[in-house]
Amino acid sequence: MMTKPSNLVLLIDDEPKIRRFLRAGFEIHGFSVVEAENAAEGLKVATFNSPDLVILDLGLPDLHGSEALERLRSWSNVPVIVLSVESDEDEKVRLLQSGADDYVVKPFGMAELLARSDAALRRYFKSATENPVVTVGPLAVDLASRTVSLNNSRIKLTRKEYRLLHILAMHVGLVVTHDQLLKDIWTGNQRDNIQYLRILVRKLRQKIETDPNQPRLLITESGVGYRLENRLEPSVVD
Amino acid sequence: MADDPSSFTMRIDVLPLALSAGSIGLVTAVLLVLDSMVAASLIPIAYLIPIIFAAARWGIWASTLASLTAIATSDFFFFEPIYSFRVDNPQEAVDLLLFLVVALATSNLASRLRRETERSHQRERDIQHLYEFSKRLAACFTVSDLIDAIRYYLAHTLGPRAALFVASTHGNFESMPESAPTPPAVLEAVAEMMARVGATGRSVVNTPSQDIWLLRAISSETVVHGVIAINVGHGSRDTIKSRTRRIEGILEEVSLTLQRLDIGKAMDDARLHLQAELLRDAFHGTLSHELCSPLAAIQGSVSVIDTMPAVRDDERLRSLTEAISDEVTHLDGHIRNLLNATRVTAGGLTPRLEWSDPRDIVNAAVKGRARRLAAHRVENAFGDDLPLLNVDSGLIEEACGQLLENAAKYSPSGSTIAVRTRHDRGRVVISIVDQGVGITPDDQRHIGRKSFRSQRHQASIPGSGLGFWIASTFVRAHSGSIEITSRGKGLGTTASVLLPALQTSDLATIDDD
Repeated sequence: MMTKPSNLVLLIDDEPKIRRFLRAGFEIHGFSVVEAENAAEGLKVATFNSPDLVILDLGLPDLHGSEALERLRSWSNVPVIVLSVESDEDEKVRLLQSGADDYVVKPFGMAELLARSDAALRRYFKSATENPVVTVGPLAVDLASRTVSLNNSRIKLTRKEYRLLHILAMHVGLVVTHDQLLKDIWTGNQRDNIQYLRILVRKLRQKIETDPNQPRLLITESGVGYRLENRLEPSVVD
Repeated sequence: MADDPSSFTMRIDVLPLALSAGSIGLVTAVLLVLDSMVAASLIPIAYLIPIIFAAARWGIWASTLASLTAIATSDFFFFEPIYSFRVDNPQEAVDLLLFLVVALATSNLASRLRRETERSHQRERDIQHLYEFSKRLAACFTVSDLIDAIRYYLAHTLGPRAALFVASTHGNFESMPESAPTPPAVLEAVAEMMARVGATGRSVVNTPSQDIWLLRAISSETVVHGVIAINVGHGSRDTIKSRTRRIEGILEEVSLTLQRLDIGKAMDDARLHLQAELLRDAFHGTLSHELCSPLAAIQGSVSVIDTMPAVRDDERLRSLTEAISDEVTHLDGHIRNLLNATRVTAGGLTPRLEWSDPRDIVNAAVKGRARRLAAHRVENAFGDDLPLLNVDSGLIEEACGQLLENAAKYSPSGSTIAVRTRHDRGRVVISIVDQGVGITPDDQRHIGRKSFRSQRHQASIPGSGLGFWIASTFVRAHSGSIEITSRGKGLGTTASVLLPALQTSDLATIDDD
């Protein structure tokens, strides 16, 4: 984990048992933790304690999570990860568009949440002087020189392929919505046609994945978008 | 109260004629006794009494006969020459003729009055019956109540002249027990009317007896509930008209009641639907909150413990945390199945279509069931020319996941589960091939039914039987299908999801730059 030990995380969740394990999980991994059991309290704590990261539950008793997120976003760009119960894609997309950095769906594992938190923090605190190379497994994307190498040898991408990889690499570990990708890569009518994106992803996978049929770097988040994975898991498929 | 069919014919009964003739005889006898006291000119007037009586009682034929008899007897007994039909005095002949005219005119008027009275009595009875009928109809709550009311009405007003046919469960129809015996031609017509909605009425002539049968359908907008058949006999046009009017009267009441029942049924349906909706919402709320959040807490907590080096490095402790995790995943799967089932039963399944890569769907399904597949070797192969699918990838992923879970459940640990995705004649086929217990022809018949589980495994393998049903419902919502094949018991099963691959614009060749 590349977390700075002083990072303060704010947990906004009405369930004490969820807060309890989140606190344990974050503290064990070097975070300091403050808790809030509803949106109003959460927004207050966010103002006074200026946390480095906010974990926001969607089902709060006083305010819907998405509304709490919007209020928070009106004055702060602190990284926010949303905890959602249902796997409703539309809801996820909406939250990402209104400023959430990522989401996890309950029930989730601590490792998954930590990875997302890590990615969100890294993106937030990345300085101009930091190494502009994003490395994921065998893949290295140099955002400054706009070059890509796989197992230390340069590979050639088309302009659109590179653009796609560039955006994902800038958000490494975080999900990027279809909409955002389409708008960044295409112009005109094509910006609304997800088929272009699907085909482009296929082509990019052919070039960067060991097995394009079982991608491990460029991950599909069904109904939401794509993610450049920052922690590689062993494959379940032989 | 029931009318006899024969009264519609122009039959003249002998008894009224004899009685009217007899009454003239009686009056003659009385006059003969009082002969000296009654003036001859008043005698014909005395005869008017039995004539009017006969007209009012027995009708025009009896009174005409009475008039003729009266004129003959008065001539014979009271006009000179007595005991002869001859009339010598011309004045007397004129008197007798005048009397005959008056007698005939009077009897005609009286008998007409009688008919009118009878008709108005009949109308009164009809109205009374209709009134009782509509009172019964008002108390109808179901179509079978309605049929009972019609039965009662027909039996009490038309008796053996009417037959009622009611649609029975298996598209057939049956006649009510007290119905009139119906000739084959009528039965045929009834069958035709039962078969299609929209035919409201017709009339059939029964050739042997020349009887006319009126047929009327009792139907709402979508269903024929029954047919009323009434024998109106073969009387005059008026009789048939009046019969028809009566039947129309019944039918009008019936159709109003049917409309009311339809509205009532719609309201009941709506109420039921609303209740189901409320229940489902409550169920959703309860499931997602009361069950999902403790599960999330357990899963989260165990995952925190799992990250501790002390636990990670101890094989025994790690196997415990993994077991907890597995059970949570398992429970979560059950809850998701229940949620999916309520979603499907609610009819609220509207796929959220989006162009997706079948590889992504299958990979996500395999990854999502990774823990359940851990004991098996999974081979995942894709054809080279896979088109994009315009589907709700979440639903198809869930369907594939259910089939994968079944494959894992019904095949031995260590065996191979092969997942093959290919493009085949305009369809994308995702096949999940296991080396498990296989499927018997008997299972094959029942598979796909909600909650079906083969008898062979109910004791040995846990499950709700919802999985396959959910999978097939999700796939069907995309105009696809699931095929289950097996070479037999113990020889493995192949479950294939077939999805139509729509023609996409030629995107594969798009220029990247």
